[in-house]
Amino acid sequence: MAALQRVASSVSTSASSYSSARGGVAAAAGDVPVPEQFPAGLRVLVVDDDTTCLRILEQMLRRCLYHVTTCSQATVALNMLRERKGFFDVVLSDVHMPDMDGFKLLEHVGLEMDLPVIMMSADGRTSAVMRGIKHGACDYLIKPIREEELKNIWQHVIRKKWNENKDFEQSGSLEDNDRHKRGNDDIENACSVNEGTEGALKCQKRRSSVKEEDDELENDDPSTSKKPRVVWSVELHQQFVSAVNQLGIDKAVPKRILELMSVPGLTRENVASHLQKFRLYLKRLSVGQQGGISNAFCGSLDSNVKFNPLGRFDIQALAVAGQIPPQTLAALQADPLGRPTGPTGGIVTTVDQPALLPTSVQASKGIAIEHGVAFGQPLVKCPSNISKHFVEDATKGFGAWPSNNLATVGPSSNLGGISTQHGNIMLDILQQQQRQLQQQHQVLSLPEPSRSITVQPSCLVVPSQSSVCFQAGNSSTSVNQNSSYNRNAAIDYSLLSPQSNNSMNIGQLSEGDLKAAGIVGGYPGQGPMSPSVSSCSINADNSAARRVQNTSMPTRAARQSSGLAPNICGVQGSYGAKSGEVLDQGPLANLGFNRGTCIASQFAVGQFETPFTSQGKIYVEGNGNKVKQEPSMEFMVNARVGIPLLQHFSPSDIMSVYTE
Amino acid sequence: MLGLGADRLRADMSRLLALLFHQGVLDEQFLQLQQLQDESSPNFVSEVVNIYFHESEKLLRSLRGILMDREFSDYKKMGIHLNQFMGSSSSIGAKRVRNVCVAFRAASEQNNRAGCLRALELLEHEYCYLKNKLHEFFQIEQQRVLAAGVRYPMQN
Repeated sequence: MAALQRVASSVSTSASSYSSARGGVAAAAGDVPVPEQFPAGLRVLVVDDDTTCLRILEQMLRRCLYHVTTCSQATVALNMLRERKGFFDVVLSDVHMPDMDGFKLLEHVGLEMDLPVIMMSADGRTSAVMRGIKHGACDYLIKPIREEELKNIWQHVIRKKWNENKDFEQSGSLEDNDRHKRGNDDIENACSVNEGTEGALKCQKRRSSVKEEDDELENDDPSTSKKPRVVWSVELHQQFVSAVNQLGIDKAVPKRILELMSVPGLTRENVASHLQKFRLYLKRLSVGQQGGISNAFCGSLDSNVKFNPLGRFDIQALAVAGQIPPQTLAALQADPLGRPTGPTGGIVTTVDQPALLPTSVQASKGIAIEHGVAFGQPLVKCPSNISKHFVEDATKGFGAWPSNNLATVGPSSNLGGISTQHGNIMLDILQQQQRQLQQQHQVLSLPEPSRSITVQPSCLVVPSQSSVCFQAGNSSTSVNQNSSYNRNAAIDYSLLSPQSNNSMNIGQLSEGDLKAAGIVGGYPGQGPMSPSVSSCSINADNSAARRVQNTSMPTRAARQSSGLAPNICGVQGSYGAKSGEVLDQGPLANLGFNRGTCIASQFAVGQFETPFTSQGKIYVEGNGNKVKQEPSMEFMVNARVGIPLLQHFSPSDIMSVYTE
Repeated sequence: MLGLGADRLRADMSRLLALLFHQGVLDEQFLQLQQLQDESSPNFVSEVVNIYFHESEKLLRSLRGILMDREFSDYKKMGIHLNQFMGSSSSIGAKRVRNVCVAFRAASEQNNRAGCLRALELLEHEYCYLKNKLHEFFQIEQQRVLAAGVRYPMQN
């Protein structure tokens, strides 16, 4: 289950980044066409009290065909920025200015308009540069500044847009996602696979991109950077959110928040940058982007989890393996949507969720659970037959396992509630998640310490069947194993996510599994179970958003899907037998699921591109044209429809579809 | 003859520039500056250098004031001034001035008053030398522009 959750989250993240790329400055996306003149006309504000430099910079920037505005006083510049919001794309600021320190200006700009700020100074000592980065500068240029350096500053504008979207997800996982998309740094990421989470973090540190470094430093002091993401994503963010709630979002200022949080080692800059991101989240939420919301949640929760490049390799290797049992496919795809067509009569629909969520929320308050835990992504019922099968296996395995699994399940349910309620504010969502998690914890009487572990599993996307086994395995085994597992899953996910709807897969978790887990854990299954179901519906929504984003790369997705489908089959088959056994299997199972997700996503993509007709084709082959009939439906609807149809497909059919 | 004069003046400029480079007074950043000069701003280099002189003299006065007038010098403020001086000097390619600024800053960070005073005098010296040489350079250029702009109705 954890694995499934993970997949869902990763999908959503990828979706968000795509959407952003499309909506905003498309250049970074690569897929999206960039205006031919793009860097030309970039609106740059230069702030420097040194008029010599100011004049030189002005001339240099002008020769880059940028639109230059110069200002020799930081206060004037700040007023200008405030009065003409949206008038500038990037700010170049000197560090030392008499009226206002450059870092102060940077802080204001970051909080109020969130523009990329490039610091410059003649002081190129490491400490000075470090200071700039810590304050959130997206670059630090050492005087004398050369024209070549300025030619390139547009990249920070793009990167900022990108990172904003990523920031919704906020986590390193997102960055990794992007990487995969870009095909970068695979080697770098690879190391994280072998190493623990620590390794992943290290990898992150090694990244050359200033912005990424900056992200990391923003969140934490360099001294504590060993566990930077973890720190923010886990309890800190909870504290942060509660502090903001206490103050009221409009009145929340970094200083006050910091006081309320009273966390040693946390600096005002950390809080400021986090607040900035948080405000962005809220803004996004208010806009009502479903995909964005879900992504944001996932991202914030995930932050410590990294995707491994290796995951991809694993998947490929698995891909070679056998056939997909029609049952599994059906279970995976059909149930999550809650579609009546699905094999199972007792599918819980999204409607149920709202009611369930509130209850869960009420139950627990106060203690902050790790984000990762909260993360749990939506779990859906599995078809009855499949679920039974799994349940049996799972229960066996579970007996030995600690209740952690249950905890992971609960979080997933929380997500569902969140995603469903698109209008809700992040705060609410987070709180809900936390509460729910708390509840679960209480019920399970699990100690908090395992959080990190549980979180990681949640990240992973596991198909319903596999998920049960998987979680069980994780819980029983040491944390380290889980972490490694998660990474793999995460990797897979990232790979898959670009393709599109993972939500389908997520939804697939069978009720039986959940119940089984609940029984094993001694957990009262009903409450948590239903939430998980609801989460499925959420995912579906996300998938819709994703689809749009995905449209640009339809062909690619299709290819991948074809390759992936076979893998899934193999994984699942082995799964039933071994479910209880080894962690390794768990990851494999996850991979398989991911593939399944990929397939689903691909379908969605197909729909999107060739508006519904494409779907029709795909499904038609398997089902005999049922899909075609519904071309007029909206994306969301289509996705759901398509999934249930898949259930009936035999593996071979699916394959044929993909190949086509 | 006058046309040849323009060429000769051009050669003089090159020689002077080569000398300044050789002495380490200027570095390639000055060439960058020259490349920035185009039709939209034909006097860009001299314009910038004049701004630089203006700013630098203010800074030098301020630095001297800090060092002379107070019993306990404001080393922090001095450091900020020096940073700016470094930034502008390096931006126009005044390499030696910049180097002295670095030494000056190091002395100020150690609260080394004597070192600061020595560095200040050196800085003033370097600055004056640079200013004189650049003045010379721009004078030659002005003559060259004049010479090149002269028309010879007789020839055509």
